[in-house]
Amino acid sequence: MSPEAEARTSLTNLIRKLRFEHGEMTQQALAERVGVTRQTIIALEAGKYAPSLLLAFRLARAFGVGIEGVFQYHDGEPEGRGEPGPHAGR
Amino acid sequence: MNASQRFAWFTLGVVGLTVILVLLLIPMLGRGAFGALGFLGLLGFTPLFFLQRGDEVVQDERDIQIRLSSLTIAYSVFWVLFVLGAMTAPAVYGWSGSVPVPLVLGAVWCGLIVVQGVMALAILIQYRRGGSDVA
Repeated sequence: MSPEAEARTSLTNLIRKLRFEHGEMTQQALAERVGVTRQTIIALEAGKYAPSLLLAFRLARAFGVGIEGVFQYHDGEPEGRGEPGPHAGR
Repeated sequence: MNASQRFAWFTLGVVGLTVILVLLLIPMLGRGAFGALGFLGLLGFTPLFFLQRGDEVVQDERDIQIRLSSLTIAYSVFWVLFVLGAMTAPAVYGWSGSVPVPLVLGAVWCGLIVVQGVMALAILIQYRRGGSDVA
């Protein structure tokens, strides 16, 4: 399975939701805050890119939550993109 | 379009134009047409696409990952073609024959064209599949 496909099926995130909860932060603003391009934020929100651990930590810190507050790993059937997984909030 | 995509389009353009130019000049100049391969030297300007401008993020981990995987794909394609070429040489020149020197030099240029061209294509395809330009 390609990294892209793997990211789509096993990793979901709440970046879009968290952006809006943080004063409707724009993708560009978040990108500048964590040191990536806006395209990478777009790919992350679309579930098409699995970030490095370092970037995951930066994103979590930007929102003031833990990594599992941003990313959810699923080892079973994929759920909706960007939707909270079974481990969300734990 | 980000720096990597601009880099890929530029590379593809230079490689494509060079190949077309060489093919057009061969009927007129013969072996001299291969002098047009010097246009590939324009690829030396590609680092300019990644120059830092102010606080702007020119490339990040995803861009580097895409470029590296594209380079791997490009060298894999080159290796397959190289092996195929080497395997067909005995059929063309015989087991006790010798490969002409211009062909060896040409193979080096072809290798550069294949690697650069395939890498550029792979970069563009991966960005398209990754939805980098969505929204």
